[in-house]
Amino acid sequence: MWQKSKPYLLLLPATGAIVLLFFGGLFDGMLKSLGYFPAIGERQLHLTAYTELLSSDSFWESLSLTLRVAAISSLLAGILGGMLAIALFMMNQSTKAKESRLWQRLFQLPLTIPHLVAGYVIVLLFMQSGLFSKLLATVGIIDQITDFPVLVNDPFGWGIILAYTWKEVPFVLLMVYPVLARIRDSWRDVSRVYGAGNLSFIREIALPIMMPSWIIAVFIVFVFTFSAFEIPFLLGVTYPSMLPVYSFQLYTSGTLADRPEALAVNIILALMTIVLGLIAYYFSKRWNVTKGWQ
Amino acid sequence: MKQVFSPLKIILSLLLFLFIGIPFIALLLSSVATGWQWPVLFPESYSFRAWEYVLFGSSRTWQSIGTSLLIAVIVTVINVLLAVPAANALVRFQFKGKWFAEAILFAPIIIPPFVAVMGIHLTFLRLGLTETILGVVLAHLSPTLPYMVRAVMISYNTLSVDWENQARMLGAGPFLRFYYVVLPHLLPGIAAGASLSILISLSQYLITFIIGSGQVVTLPILLFPFISGGDPAVASAYSLLFAGMAILALLAMDAVLKKYYQTKNPSVLKVKGVKR
Repeated sequence: MWQKSKPYLLLLPATGAIVLLFFGGLFDGMLKSLGYFPAIGERQLHLTAYTELLSSDSFWESLSLTLRVAAISSLLAGILGGMLAIALFMMNQSTKAKESRLWQRLFQLPLTIPHLVAGYVIVLLFMQSGLFSKLLATVGIIDQITDFPVLVNDPFGWGIILAYTWKEVPFVLLMVYPVLARIRDSWRDVSRVYGAGNLSFIREIALPIMMPSWIIAVFIVFVFTFSAFEIPFLLGVTYPSMLPVYSFQLYTSGTLADRPEALAVNIILALMTIVLGLIAYYFSKRWNVTKGWQ
Repeated sequence: MKQVFSPLKIILSLLLFLFIGIPFIALLLSSVATGWQWPVLFPESYSFRAWEYVLFGSSRTWQSIGTSLLIAVIVTVINVLLAVPAANALVRFQFKGKWFAEAILFAPIIIPPFVAVMGIHLTFLRLGLTETILGVVLAHLSPTLPYMVRAVMISYNTLSVDWENQARMLGAGPFLRFYYVVLPHLLPGIAAGASLSILISLSQYLITFIIGSGQVVTLPILLFPFISGGDPAVASAYSLLFAGMAILALLAMDAVLKKYYQTKNPSVLKVKGVKR
């Protein structure tokens, strides 16, 4: 009896905490998004918040901004991170292990930088009077502050895209590099025997090997960008705003009537991340992502 | 061979400068600049005014760092206590509903935790948990715990039951076995999980803001008004301090771990090597 129930007892504290604090919060939020507020005497469940949300322009604009920003920044981070991984891999074949570890660590530095700081770095570099604008003015490419494009607090979301790309390139590197590192030196030699240069080695061997984990990494970045708050709050505009910011604006707008709508945004956001997460999980199991090949 | 790759090294160095160098230089320059007007590339005059304000002028800086670290440490200690038994169950037992337990424990990695926090806000308000450190600690648990469980699971995967059985044969009870056999082996995993847990807890803004309602002032809460349109020098100094605090927390964890292996338990490394 004890042996049978032991794993459940061991799991109880951790799952209990998550169920209570996390799923309890989700459920609590869902009830309130359906208009259930016993504190003010509302006990009827209805879909008003959802129907109002789905018929409002600001929700759809917010959704399309969120999808756009998440898609562009995850693709950019994926391309840069993938190229960086290959470059580091090629270089590390001719350097000592200690030196190559140092390179990797340096490139992974942005992972440890808090999101708010990453956002502020983008402000300093890319605002109209920022460092890059000053640089362009010094070398004479632009004459006035207004010649520099508006990249921070812009309606398209470039600032948010830049910040996430900066922050997530190291993440893609972290996910992809270990797979590349499993390529044996002998494979390189064999490919050379068959006359493959660096480029065809990359194309025929390195790229196919890193592909599954690369796709999953990009996908994770996409889901993460989709649901994070700090960077769009700092670098976005008030309208349209990304979904988490939109929800926060509704929640703190002051009127109690907006709160169910805010929570409805959250529930929709949660459902989308669950679906995306399940897709990522399914393919990562199928492709055996952490190993790369069998 | 070396010759072929040296251009690659130059490109990588340039990239490193662009990605890592320039952002830090920008923060550093901005924190010591006075009146850095637009077309000039480097500030004309420098002063430590912003640093003086941040480090000595306002006692709120040190209070907020203390609050941030206090919350991060409590969260991490709770995480260790919750995660070690859970990881043990998930790795070493076969039982019904295992996938379900994993799904529950890892859900906060995928579903954004602020959704749950906003949902539970009014309940916390009624229970008197808002505006308290305890409330913020509870709110920080769900974004951090999954990473701790994951890290400890990886350590459990390489720990063979044989070691414990051997200790049992030599007469060690459950507590001795855990302390002398299991714990030393789990330590790298616990340290990795603790680093992640501390890092994630330190950088939370929204969750702390919702539950703390502006009364629990962690460093990100203190920082935000400055970086969204305040004094750029002060904002840069705070940003560097914030980033430095996160990196220092990681380095400290690394150092503690190294020291532990050097002094206390030189045999552990050998033991690990055997099983792997």
